[in-house]
Amino acid sequence: MTERLLLLSLFLVGFCGVLANKNIIKKIFGLTLINNAVVILFVLEGARVGQHAPIMEEGIETIVDPIPQALMLTAIVIGVCITALALALAFRLYRNTGTFNIDAIRRKVHDAS
Amino acid sequence: MMRLEDLAFAPVVLPLLGAAMAFCAKAFLKGRATRILEYAGAAVGLGLPWISFAATFQAVMAGEVLQGVVGGWYGGVGVLYRFDGLAWLVNVLGYSVAIASWVYSLGAGPRGPTFTAVFLIQTAALAATAMTADLFNLFVCLEVMGIASYVLVASSDKPGALLASFSYLMVSATAMVFFLLGVYGFYRLTGSLSYVGISEALRTLPDSGGTAALVSLALVTAAVAVRVAVMPLYGWLPDAHALAPHAISAVLSGVLIKTPLFALSRVLLILPAGSLAGEMMGYSGAVTALAGVILALSQKDAKKLLAYHSISQIGYVVCAWGAAIAAGMATETGRIMMAAAFLHAFYHALFKGLLFLTVGTTTDCAGQRDVHRLRGAARLLRSWGGERIPLTLVGFSIGALAISAVPPFNGFASKTALSEAMKGSWQYGLLFVAGIGTATSFIKLSRIYWPAGKGVVGRPRDAATVDVAGYPRDTTTRATVLLAEGWLALLCVAGGIAASPIFAVVYRLLSENGTADAVSLGLYSWPNLLKTTLTLAGGALLFFGVVSGPGSAALKRIRERSLSFHGLFVSFAFGTAFLTWWLLYGFRFLR
Repeated sequence: MTERLLLLSLFLVGFCGVLANKNIIKKIFGLTLINNAVVILFVLEGARVGQHAPIMEEGIETIVDPIPQALMLTAIVIGVCITALALALAFRLYRNTGTFNIDAIRRKVHDAS
Repeated sequence: MMRLEDLAFAPVVLPLLGAAMAFCAKAFLKGRATRILEYAGAAVGLGLPWISFAATFQAVMAGEVLQGVVGGWYGGVGVLYRFDGLAWLVNVLGYSVAIASWVYSLGAGPRGPTFTAVFLIQTAALAATAMTADLFNLFVCLEVMGIASYVLVASSDKPGALLASFSYLMVSATAMVFFLLGVYGFYRLTGSLSYVGISEALRTLPDSGGTAALVSLALVTAAVAVRVAVMPLYGWLPDAHALAPHAISAVLSGVLIKTPLFALSRVLLILPAGSLAGEMMGYSGAVTALAGVILALSQKDAKKLLAYHSISQIGYVVCAWGAAIAAGMATETGRIMMAAAFLHAFYHALFKGLLFLTVGTTTDCAGQRDVHRLRGAARLLRSWGGERIPLTLVGFSIGALAISAVPPFNGFASKTALSEAMKGSWQYGLLFVAGIGTATSFIKLSRIYWPAGKGVVGRPRDAATVDVAGYPRDTTTRATVLLAEGWLALLCVAGGIAASPIFAVVYRLLSENGTADAVSLGLYSWPNLLKTTLTLAGGALLFFGVVSGPGSAALKRIRERSLSFHGLFVSFAFGTAFLTWWLLYGFRFLR
């Protein structure tokens, strides 16, 4: 139960970051945090049925469910792509407007058009 | 001997191969050779899949379902796919518009092997989305499609497009995290990821999985609804669609908002309580259709006006789609509504693609996008664009008449099919009013082509065009641009004339076992023609109301309503919470 509560708080911290923080870099951090919270939740779920890594060797009996791990590898890769792309966009926004503040960026873009 | 099951993968694999060719062209070749390999890649990716559609047509028409496990893994571990009538139709929709957009981009930008490669990856992703039968694979496909589209929106290097792309990325990536939470819920309950597996396991659980299953369903549905952009989750769409390069706008509005919707219908049709979620989506679709039109009327940027119309038109589609899911595909009404929803999605892709391309060409030529200021664009296209035959103008007229549901163009056929299917429900009234608004706002938009009075505003002849890399600096309309516009215009007219047989084919393909009785579409009955006349007359009347003093003041207030970045997330959270409440308790109020 403790783990799940910790994950919930991680998720909420991340979601607050996405929602309320003005700095777009920190928004991207927030997105990464909520993504990771869900990834860990999946892995935790797989670990309910066993303790050992699913590498079959002598003496290994109770392995964790390998499917969530396989899924989460994919999800992590996608998460990295999203983060990289978001940071690239943030960089280009900074180059165009000179700020990371979302409100200021909005204002400048609005004035320019 | 090639099996049909393998051919079904062609629409996914061939564009990826084409994308690889385009990347290789960029990495290893120089000069003319680059372009030859890039074009060959595009031909492989966008042209060859048509052979597979032709080859599989007979099988899917006969109700055969090409399905199996990707890579030959055993079930339970591998990823299930399902290529049936629905997947076939969504693929044809996607590829018709994708070809036109790519050809258009040759003339009007963005150009280059990188663009072609990303464009092809997006096309592959939408084909994969259409045929997946596995919840986690749906997540992956939606993410790939999303990432490609964020890149494409940002490929016009304007700050506005960057911000639009960033907002789109943030809200849809956040929504996809919630989707993943929904997948977690289902996996925890059922230990399965394929739609069939989840549904079978849920039905063995007490109360079909109870609250946990319903919350998971709400999360998955709401996350996909963000991509579809129904109210109240539409906030990211107008900027992204309006500020993307024109060719991309056409694909985004025409194809990318519909593919997730039809992929979602597979989930909702098979899961318990899916019909409830579909019902709610349908209601919000009806509201979206009307609200989108009101917002569109208030816009002054020509492409933003079109973008809001995409929201409104997708509202029509979602309205019939949701009602179809609520009724179930086992009933004839359900099948007719679903066929009408698809027909409108398909025809909307054609005419909205055409409108984005023609209006894009016009505004580029004139260097002015404000519909209140730009006038006399028909003359500008002739003198500056060098169009002896005013193909862009003709294309725009066809698109505008189609979206306003004037016979014999395709929009008339699909809107009539839709309203016939929805007749007698309260949504019907909303859709009718939205139709009047649509006619009004296209009268408003078509004013840019009217002859200029003394207030002509265009750009001086020698000024630079949009000064963005990859855009043509001269204003001459290229042959490829005209070719793309001509192709879509042709499809709009042909789709209108051959609407009845096409509707019959769509109906048959969507009926699951292929044994469905034939249906006919009574288009040109007196009530329908009377309704069209009423809509147009109402549109013209409303137009005078809109240009009057109080009307334009009210619209100005709507246009300048405050939009904020965090509003996107608040509306997503609110929408998801509402859908959850609806699935758990809310639906009882209507019973």
